[in-house]
Amino acid sequence: MNTLFPFGLPPATAFYLCLYLATLVVHLVFMHYVLAGSIYLAVGRLMGRARCQACRWQSILVDWLPFATGLAITAGVGPLLFVQILYGREFATANLLLSHRWMAILPVLIVCFYLLYLQKSAWIARRAWAWRLTVAAIACAGFIFIAWSWTENHLLMLDQTAWPGMYASGSLWYESAGVLPRLAAWCFLAFPSLAIELAWQGRLLGDRLEEPAAADTRVPGLSPVRRLAVMALGGWAGTLLAAAAYWPAIPDAARAAITGPLAGPWLTVAAAGLGLQIAAWTITLVSDRLSQGTLFVMTTAWVATLLGIAVVRETIRLTAVDLAIGGELHQTALGIGGLPVFLVFAVLNAIAIGWCIRTVRIQALRADFR
Amino acid sequence: MTPLDHYPAIDLGPLMKGLVIGGLGIFHVFLAQFAIGGGMLLCYLQWRHMRGVCQLARRFTDDYFKMLVLVSFVLGAVTGVAMWFTSIQISPRTIGTMVLEFHWVWATEWTFFCLEVVAGYLFYRYGPRLPDRTRMQLLLLYSFASWMSLFWINGILSWQLTPGTWLETRNVWAGFFNPGFLPSLIFRTISAAAIASLAACTLVNAVPGFTREERQSLVAVCARPLAFMLAMPLVGAWYLGTMPADSRGWATGGSVPMTLFLTMAVGSSTLIGLYAVLAILRQRLFVNGATASLLLALAFVATAGGEFVREGVRKPFTIREYLYSNSIARDGVAELRRRGSTADDPYPLRDEADYPNEQLVLGAKVFRAQCSVCHTLDGMNAVADLAATWSIDQRRLNIAQLQRTKPFMPPFAGPPAEVEAIVQLIGWRHAGRPADWAVSDDPAVLAQIERWLDEAGTGPGDARLAGGPRRP
Repeated sequence: MNTLFPFGLPPATAFYLCLYLATLVVHLVFMHYVLAGSIYLAVGRLMGRARCQACRWQSILVDWLPFATGLAITAGVGPLLFVQILYGREFATANLLLSHRWMAILPVLIVCFYLLYLQKSAWIARRAWAWRLTVAAIACAGFIFIAWSWTENHLLMLDQTAWPGMYASGSLWYESAGVLPRLAAWCFLAFPSLAIELAWQGRLLGDRLEEPAAADTRVPGLSPVRRLAVMALGGWAGTLLAAAAYWPAIPDAARAAITGPLAGPWLTVAAAGLGLQIAAWTITLVSDRLSQGTLFVMTTAWVATLLGIAVVRETIRLTAVDLAIGGELHQTALGIGGLPVFLVFAVLNAIAIGWCIRTVRIQALRADFR
Repeated sequence: MTPLDHYPAIDLGPLMKGLVIGGLGIFHVFLAQFAIGGGMLLCYLQWRHMRGVCQLARRFTDDYFKMLVLVSFVLGAVTGVAMWFTSIQISPRTIGTMVLEFHWVWATEWTFFCLEVVAGYLFYRYGPRLPDRTRMQLLLLYSFASWMSLFWINGILSWQLTPGTWLETRNVWAGFFNPGFLPSLIFRTISAAAIASLAACTLVNAVPGFTREERQSLVAVCARPLAFMLAMPLVGAWYLGTMPADSRGWATGGSVPMTLFLTMAVGSSTLIGLYAVLAILRQRLFVNGATASLLLALAFVATAGGEFVREGVRKPFTIREYLYSNSIARDGVAELRRRGSTADDPYPLRDEADYPNEQLVLGAKVFRAQCSVCHTLDGMNAVADLAATWSIDQRRLNIAQLQRTKPFMPPFAGPPAEVEAIVQLIGWRHAGRPADWAVSDDPAVLAQIERWLDEAGTGPGDARLAGGPRRP
C-alpha cells in the first residue's frame, strides 16, 4: 500500500485490477450518458413543450438514449466479469444480502429501457405533453434507483462486519452515512461526461459549435454551447460538494491510502484533469463557442479524471478486503488458459466494430447527399 | 478448493430456488435463440432480395429487425444479466467456479456481444438508407456475432454436464470442447433457426401493409429453415449419447419428471416439425397468425422441456463430478463429515429465537447449508412432506445414506450430530413446532447413524458415478 497503484500489488491482482478499471471506465462513458441524459430529459420536460422542442440536446438524447442504454449494459458485462474474479466473495455476499431489493434493478431496467423507446415513438408524440413528462420522469426515477442500488451494493461489499447482523435482521436496505453522498457524487459526475459526449455528438451530426449560435436559431434561454458549459460546471460543483460530504464517511485507512503513495498521484491526475476541464468550460461559457481543439483538450482531461477517480474508488475497496486471500485466487485465475484467445478476438471485433461505424457513416452520408 | 463456502442464503418463501433460475433460464434461452436464428434468417432474406427472387424480403427484413431490437436487445440483454445475478442468488459457488474457470471465454463472448449490439443497432437505425451490399455485410456480422455468443456460452453450459478430461487436466479447452459441446451446439443452432422462422411467420401476419398473397409468399420463404428440424432426432440422439449413463437414465425413464419433460420437448418439436414439413413446406399451406403463434408457443414449450432436462439431469451435481447441487465440493464431503457443515457458518438464523433448543438451531443451519438450494421446509419440494411418512429411524437412515435413498441426491456432508439435528427438526415441525422439545443425544443412536454414514461412504450414490474420475 506504499507504492503507486498498481505497482505494489501482487502481479496477478494488479493485472486484473487494470483490466477491471479499463473496462469500468468504458462502461462509465455510456452509463453517464444514460444516467445524466435521463435526468436532463426529465428536468427538461418540466420546463414545458416550447423550451424542450427548442433544445438541441434534448432531441439528441431522445433519439440516442435507447442505444446508449444498450451500450451501457453491454459495456457493463466486462467489469461485472472482472469484479467477480477480483472480489467474488464480497460481490456475491452483497448481492445476496440485498436479495430481492437488489434483483429489482432488473425489471426496473427493462421498464426504463422500453420507456426510452416509447419516448421516441410516434405514439407518444401524438399524446398530451403530460405523457412525455410522466414517461421521462419514470425512466429517470428508474435509473436513479438502479444507481442507488449499485451504490448500496458497493458500500455493503466493503462493510464486512455488517454482514451477519444485516442477514440476521432480514433487512433489505443497507443504511450507511456514505450511501447518499456517494450516490449524489456519481450522479453529478455523470453531467460533465454527458456535456462532453453531447458536444461530440453535436459535432458529428454537423452542429457548428465553434461559432456563436445565430440569432434566429437561438433557443429560449441559453445557447446550446452554454447549456453544455452550465451542465458540465454545475455537474462538477455538485460532484465536489457531494464528495466533500462523502469524505467523512470513508474509513481512516482508506483516506490515508487515497492521499498517500498508493493513490495520491492518481488523485492529483484527477484533480489536474478537473482543473483543466473547469478552465476550458469556463472559457466556453464566456465565449459561447466550442472549438474542436478545446473539445480535444476537455476530452483528454475528462478521461484522465475518470481514470483517476476510478483508481481512487478502487483504493477505498482495496483497503477493505483481504488481499492475501484474493491474491492467491487471482494467481490461480491468471494460470487458467484463454487469455490469448480473448486478446485476438478483442482486437478482431474492435476492428469489425470500427469498420461497421465507418462504413455506415460513409454510406449513410452518401445516401443523405443523394 | 474448500469443501463449502458460506454465503447468506436467500429466502424465497414457499418457492424452490431452482424453479426461479429454471424459469428465467428458459425465458432467456428462448429469446437468445430467437435473436441468433433471427440473424441467420435475415441474412437469408437479404440474400434472396439481392438475387432478385424475393422483392418483399428487404421490407420485411426491416420490419423483423425492429422487433428483434425491441425484444432481443432489451429483454434478451437484460435477462442475460439477470441470469448472472440470479445464479449468484441461487448458487454463488457454482457461478463463481464457472466464472473463474472460464473467465477468458466469457470475456471473449463479451467482445462478440459488443459487435452484435453495434452491428445490429447500425442496421436498425440506418439499414433502410443503406445499399444492399452494406446491409448484407452488417447482417452477416450481426448474425456471426450472435451465433458466436452461442458458441462460447454453449461450451461452458455443456461443460457442466460433461466436463470430460477437464476433471483430470483442468485445461480450459479440454473443458470447453467437451463431449457434449458439438451436438449441443448443432442442436441449439437448429432450435434457433426454427424459433426465428416461427417468429417470422407470426410477424408476417402481424405487420400491416402486406396482401394475402404477399404474406403467403413470405411465409413460404421464412418457413424454409424449419426443414433443418428433420435433423433434430439424429442430433438429439447424438446429444443423449454423449450424456453420462446415469444422466441419460434419468431422462429416459429413471426419473418420471425428467422423462415427462423430455417427452414434452420431443413431442412439441415433433408436432412443429411435422406441421412444418408436411403442411407448410410440402403442401404450401398458408400459415395465419393464430397458427403461427400456436407453433411458436409450442416451440417455447419444447425449449422449456429441453432446458429443464438439461438442468435436471446434472443431479446430484451442478458441475459434474466436481461440485454437488448444494455447492459442496465432491472431494470435501469427507472433511465435512469430520468437522461439520455449519462449523464455519458466520450467519445466524433469522428466526433463532423460535427454536426451543440448540439442536433444532443446528438442524435449521444444516438445512440451510445442505438442503435449501433444492428444498423448502414447508413449501415446494418440502423436506417435511417428503419425510412425512417415514419413522424416526427411517429418517435417520435415509438422511445418513441420502445418496442411496435417492441417487440424484448428494451424500450427507456432516457428522452424526448434524443428521440427528435435521431429523429432530423435521420431527419438531411435524409436531406443530411445540414450545418444548427434548434434545436427542443418545450415544447409541449417534453411533448407529455413524455406521450408516460410513456404510454409504462419501461419494455419490450411483455406482456409475461412484467410480468416476476424481479431481487430482
